[in-house]
Amino acid sequence: MQNVESLRQPSTQLQIRKRNRKIAQTVLYHLTVGLVGLLMLYPVLWLIASSFKAPDEIWTQVNSLIPSQLRIENYITGWAGFGGFSFAVFFQNSFIYAGLGTLFVVASSTIVAYGFGRVKFRGRTFWFTLMMLTLMLPGQVLIIPQYIIFSRLNWINTFWPLLLPRLGGDVFFIFMIIQFIRGIPMDLDEAAMIDGAGQREIFLHVILPQLKPAIITAAIFSFYWTWEDFLGPLIYLTKPELYTVSVALRNFSDPNTVTNWGAIFAMLCLSLVPVFVIFAFFQRYIVEGIATTGLKG
Amino acid sequence: MGQAEAGIPITDLSETADVRPGARTRLKTKDFKRNDLAGYLFISPWLIGFFLFSLIPIGISLWLAFTDYDILGDWRYVGLQNFQQMFFSDVRYGRSIKATFEYVFVSVPLRLIFALIVAMLLNTKRRGVYWYRAAYYIPSVIGGSVAVAVMWRQIFGRQGVVNAVMAMLGLDTVNWLGNPDTAIWTLILLAVWQFGSPMLVFLAGLRQIPQELYEAASIDGGSSWQQFFRITLPLLTPVIFFNLVMQTIGSFKAFTQAFIITGGTGAPLDTTLFYSLYLYNRAFVTYQMGYAAAMAWVMLGIIAVLTAINFKLSSLWVYYETDVR
Amino acid sequence: MKQLRFRFVLFSLVAALLLSLGGVPVSTARAQDVTVLPVTWWGSQTRHDRTIQVIEMYEAEHPNVDITYEFASFNDYWTRLNTQAAGGQLACVMQQDYAYLAEWASRDLLLPLDEYYESGAIDVSNVPEALLAGGQVGDHYYGISLGTNSQAFILDVDAFERAGLDLPSPDWTWTEFEETALALHDALGIWAMGYGLEDVQMWKSLLLGLGELPFVDGQLGYEDDQPIIDYYNMILRLQAAGAYATRAEQLEFTSIENSPIVTGLEVIRYQWSNQLSAVWNAAGPDRHFRLWHLPRPEGGQSQNYLKPSMFFSITAQCPNPDLAADFINYFTNSLEANDVLLAERGVPISTVVREHLLPSLDAAQTEAFDFLARVEQDFSPIFPPDPPGFSDFLNNVYTPLFMEPILYGQITPEEGVVILRTEGNAVLQAAAGN
Repeated sequence: MQNVESLRQPSTQLQIRKRNRKIAQTVLYHLTVGLVGLLMLYPVLWLIASSFKAPDEIWTQVNSLIPSQLRIENYITGWAGFGGFSFAVFFQNSFIYAGLGTLFVVASSTIVAYGFGRVKFRGRTFWFTLMMLTLMLPGQVLIIPQYIIFSRLNWINTFWPLLLPRLGGDVFFIFMIIQFIRGIPMDLDEAAMIDGAGQREIFLHVILPQLKPAIITAAIFSFYWTWEDFLGPLIYLTKPELYTVSVALRNFSDPNTVTNWGAIFAMLCLSLVPVFVIFAFFQRYIVEGIATTGLKG
Repeated sequence: MGQAEAGIPITDLSETADVRPGARTRLKTKDFKRNDLAGYLFISPWLIGFFLFSLIPIGISLWLAFTDYDILGDWRYVGLQNFQQMFFSDVRYGRSIKATFEYVFVSVPLRLIFALIVAMLLNTKRRGVYWYRAAYYIPSVIGGSVAVAVMWRQIFGRQGVVNAVMAMLGLDTVNWLGNPDTAIWTLILLAVWQFGSPMLVFLAGLRQIPQELYEAASIDGGSSWQQFFRITLPLLTPVIFFNLVMQTIGSFKAFTQAFIITGGTGAPLDTTLFYSLYLYNRAFVTYQMGYAAAMAWVMLGIIAVLTAINFKLSSLWVYYETDVR
Repeated sequence: MKQLRFRFVLFSLVAALLLSLGGVPVSTARAQDVTVLPVTWWGSQTRHDRTIQVIEMYEAEHPNVDITYEFASFNDYWTRLNTQAAGGQLACVMQQDYAYLAEWASRDLLLPLDEYYESGAIDVSNVPEALLAGGQVGDHYYGISLGTNSQAFILDVDAFERAGLDLPSPDWTWTEFEETALALHDALGIWAMGYGLEDVQMWKSLLLGLGELPFVDGQLGYEDDQPIIDYYNMILRLQAAGAYATRAEQLEFTSIENSPIVTGLEVIRYQWSNQLSAVWNAAGPDRHFRLWHLPRPEGGQSQNYLKPSMFFSITAQCPNPDLAADFINYFTNSLEANDVLLAERGVPISTVVREHLLPSLDAAQTEAFDFLARVEQDFSPIFPPDPPGFSDFLNNVYTPLFMEPILYGQITPEEGVVILRTEGNAVLQAAAGN
């Protein structure tokens, strides 16, 4: 601390130069990051703008980001959905699927990841390799056999075929959390073990708290991927009252008849809101990370 | 963190693992048996899920690869015929391999580099960084809906924004979507635009690096470049490895974007005929599920080989805090 | 503190979700004397809304019938239906497409409708035989048309005026077409036409105009490749002159609303007659379009045929086929039902219904009805449904090995027709071998 005190003496010119450089850096930062950020956002802005345009305007005034008038009709027609099932129903179904699905898959993946990442047991490499292999098979060929199994169980048009498998975790998240776990030093583990803790205690009290960024990241991914998933809901939730937003959006467009593009854009923009909100709310938990390593405690 | 507390400057992190107190006296064999039970208990959710929901369908798909199955009812055993057709007489198969490899080997590095750079830029407490993070992540969230396809095609259309900008810069406009040489780039750029996911993973990884290391390093006079190469990069390697492996696997299986943007045909001239797209076509459009299953297993083989290479090479450059081999 | 708040939010989210899950029906109990009839179709929002309305009307008249329904967009529909077929979960009444009808019928997945036609359970007394023929596979009828379509060239009347040209005669030839196209391009500087000449349906039509059939006995049904070569050479000439869009340029326009005629980049557009509505909607109400016969080969017959836009079929597993037939009858013949449907699937097959609807149609539909009436004066008989293996033929031979390479200049039409014949016959034979 004494060093800092002694720095207070020197010429104000040095201080000014340092501060100017800081300001320049900040300006440069915001300029580049902000500009590129706008570039990233441009297509989204296009979508939002189109959601307010009249159908003929969408195609004839393609590049303009400002609609000639703010047509709320697109949102109203879109929200009405199909034959009495409004998007309220579809949003509810999507929330159930994405919310519970995320809960199941993240909880499960964390537990499994701890097993693979921290516990040494016979056959670990074998099962890990097998698990990775299942990731590499394109899913399209599994659709029919899985569907036949679930239809024999009479689970069509329920959420079970979509939610139950998620209790087994997801290889992507398992692997991701494994990597995070392997980045956590073992000192605390050892300390706890010396104190007589078993694997369960180590998992709950040592590793889990340090995995917050990873878990939140997994949750964000899982939510948005599940929110977007349409193949599963398409074949398992076939009754209109069970449609998710992802499936319903596709029901607007038909290559052979009139497609209400304004409605599609409008509903798409709406469907982005929950994901965006979840992201905005949870991102600070990723950012907080670990305060200290807890060794001093 | 024994070294830092001892006041010894941290110059080369790869040494700390060995110097930590108690490194040689790690427990292993004494708890072996108990760890077996604990291990299997912990991975039991995945194990059960695998046996219940995956094993049989995977087995069926393997068997299908040796049949001619048209979904609507009939199947018959055809031995290796599917594979023969794939490798020796199917022109489109070769094109799909080419398109997929091109896509993977270009888009994955680009995506990861951007993701890392942006993650580092956004790993800060400056004002407004929350908004920036959201802005960079939103593209990934839009994902694979029909609207994205429409929008992307508009942007790359002959009279779209990209060409407008190029014209302003005095460059020749390009027929992005119709020219066989450039069509795949619309998909590559789409993948790169949606780098939000790996970026987020990098961000989480960056946040996991304890601040003390940076503080200690700057006290010792380390410049930002040195900090990056000596602290950030090594400690980030597990996460980089993860992103590399997963992005590669994911890119090989890429389907939705190609499906909605090119309408699922692989046009023009099959330059955007991604493997999964071609597989889906064979399965659900031309009713040749057996052939599709054969394709799926070949893809598994290809990805498995590449991933194994990735894993083998990883011991050369990935640093795990906890590894004591 | 933060941890507590975090946990609180998490728990309340979970609680909310679990509560709402409780409200989702896992199984539905039904009254004993109510029969369930599942129906499924594809379309977009307009069709979904109108069909559901008709369903409710039918249920109102038949209180002991509960119609459950599912719908999707076209591509999703077939993904789902194929899966359901494999899993034995098909609906009773399904919308069918001409391209798949033969496949499904030949697998015994559909019920023949002959007995219902004969008994009058499905009343077809007001339906011309030509409009039923499309639903025939082999000796039986497997689907009833829900609307008639024919291929058309949509003409932008205003553009013709600006170019100072008269509209062509309905029985124009391909030579006259080429002249007109070049003249339009010279006068207006845009494409005369942007898409369609290379479409596989046009290829089939061309053969029809020559008096041939595209497929006979699971093989290509024609011997002489020269007309095809000439036809493709015409396309290449038009492309070279700038009067027809190149393939590279075509790929940008994937939806009807996005087509060049909407933005004034082409004068003639190839579509099916029931797609005029979509085009006119996208282009705006102050445009003027007419539907026109296809050109025909020199000395040939009409290239137009009456195609069912889609069918309703009864699946073989249906436990209540008579009820299904009754519903289909209502759909086809009821005037109130069709007042709601408003010919959204195409021109209704019943002449009584058609006349009834004429006053309520908008400009696009009036033109479509009028066009169909004109086609009925001059058409060729429809060819049999596509053989099994047609989608393999189209997706893996016609487009990637024949049409695109020619249009990109990689092979000549002469080389192309050889490939089309050898590879095409090969895949058709392989599919027929089942």
